[in-house]
Amino acid sequence: MTQHDADGSVPALRTDRLGRRYGRVWGLRDCTLEVPAGAVAALVGPNGAGKTTLLEMIIGLLEPTEGQVSVFGQTSRAGTAEALARVGYVAQDHPLYRDFTVADMFHLGRAMNPSWDQELAAARVDALGIPLNRKIRRLSGGQQAQVSLTMALAKRAPLLVLDEPVSSLDPVARLEFMRDVMASAADRALTFLISSHVVAELERFCDWLIVLAGGHVQLAGPADDLLAAHRLLTVPRATPDAELPGTAIHRTDSDRHSTVLVRADPVQLAVQGHAGWQADPVSFEQLVMAYLQRPSTVTSTDDPAPAAPRPGPNTRAVIR
Amino acid sequence: MIWVSWRQHRSQAIACLALLAGLAVYAILAGTSMRTAFGNDNLAGSCLARSQGTACEAGVSAFMNEFGSAVNIAFWSVCLIIPGLIGVLVGGSLIARELEYGTWRLAWSQTVPRARWLAVKLALVTGGLIVLGAAMTAVITWYRAPMDQLTGQLQHNSYDYEGLVLTAYILCAFGFAVLAGLLIRRSIPAMVAAFIPWLAIRLVVEFVFRLHFMTPVTGQVGANCLPQGPPGCGYGISFVPQSTGHIGDLVLSMNGNLVTYQPADRFWPFQLIEAGIFVALTAAALGATTWLLHRRAAWTV
Repeated sequence: MTQHDADGSVPALRTDRLGRRYGRVWGLRDCTLEVPAGAVAALVGPNGAGKTTLLEMIIGLLEPTEGQVSVFGQTSRAGTAEALARVGYVAQDHPLYRDFTVADMFHLGRAMNPSWDQELAAARVDALGIPLNRKIRRLSGGQQAQVSLTMALAKRAPLLVLDEPVSSLDPVARLEFMRDVMASAADRALTFLISSHVVAELERFCDWLIVLAGGHVQLAGPADDLLAAHRLLTVPRATPDAELPGTAIHRTDSDRHSTVLVRADPVQLAVQGHAGWQADPVSFEQLVMAYLQRPSTVTSTDDPAPAAPRPGPNTRAVIR
Repeated sequence: MIWVSWRQHRSQAIACLALLAGLAVYAILAGTSMRTAFGNDNLAGSCLARSQGTACEAGVSAFMNEFGSAVNIAFWSVCLIIPGLIGVLVGGSLIARELEYGTWRLAWSQTVPRARWLAVKLALVTGGLIVLGAAMTAVITWYRAPMDQLTGQLQHNSYDYEGLVLTAYILCAFGFAVLAGLLIRRSIPAMVAAFIPWLAIRLVVEFVFRLHFMTPVTGQVGANCLPQGPPGCGYGISFVPQSTGHIGDLVLSMNGNLVTYQPADRFWPFQLIEAGIFVALTAAALGATTWLLHRRAAWTV
């Protein structure tokens, strides 16, 4: 049985009220999100936000405490061969067996995956100039990341999950790695979910954005739509949030002005223009940072009124 | 999966083969000269034929001094711990290494589910260790054969390395180390944590339980002890025959003319009982490992 979207297409990934508890602490809770087929989705959040927890549940390395994961409409049961076959995974720091050769790693891939594509794997490392008979420990970090990605691609899974794939790479290797991801997504109609705490790399490459903080999804959707729905307003310092169009996400107060990132319908933004106000488009990074710095409305269990709006500039995070 | 297991344990397999080869070379060199001396002194003819009569102390003590002297405390201690070392060295890294280096995320995210990954690995490595244990047992049994004709197989330094128990000791240490590796997640601490209980159980079984696996027999001292009595007869490894008058009995105590002992023909029942204890411990440890690995996804990363 498959679950269809409103428009009839099956999402590559859907999580439904997914949650995972470690002892008494929730690492991730109430996580409902969707990634459409063919998207290159960025999962962004600070360390400890629950990114790896979410990814491991998607892959099936971790069993959800509540909720469920569906990949291409099929509900995944953690650790079953069917669930494992649908997702390719490049773990953080791209672990490989250091005393194996590249050919050995591919042999392992062939032995452990019925759908393994040896031709693709061999052609890919050949194109990258990585010798098959070289030991993993003799490869550079970038080459190891590429071997990991090659193994995930050669598994021929329709959904690929990459956990911090570029965080240990130098800038050139990052760029090359992400270009390869984009090329694979385009050539072979794959869906990627890429986690990172480095936002700058993702901007050029990702068309879907998920912001995770404090174990909750703060923002999710098509990157272009999200960018279009947000503006960076520059207003006189005393202007209260209530007078602003849309919802204030993050506010920076300086001596005379306040810079506020707001979420609102673009039309609404246009008609509510005031003299002396300035509305600028937001960048990917500004958008992500605003949501990451927003005081979470749901995570803090000690807060007596967590959902209440907080008036006054003093309670806001201030960027210096 | 078979290839994967082989590739990951290849160097361990080679090290085990080297150990076995070294043992075999030593056994052939030492065993050959032992056999020559055994034949020259005609211990087989003179001593064994007179097992019901007076002891052949002179020839036996000369032979035992030459070939049995290697079995001193230090040598025996090393021999005692070797099966445990083999077991923990192979088992300690089996899961812990994956957890230490983060490669579990690679190994368990392929299409083969982790339960199958573990089952194939355990089956192959256990099989390899059984072959190794059986081969070591065969070599040692061949090497000791002349001496066993004088002492029997119930004495510690033959019983512990012949029959089934040597293999069972290896497996038990292996099972403990695999489980400890999953719980501790680090190879070296897992090996230490597995070795200590293995050694404790091994010693307690040997010195406390083994003597009473079956109810000892009480009987009259043998003809070789009468009429002269002690000190012309006694028990322990260097008395041939034992004070029961037979070769190979394991005498527990003497009280006047009464002797309490385990008869030599209980070697195989004893081996079965003791190997059964260690195999059961192995099965418990590996069963717990399998269950914990299955449940691990539900508990913690």
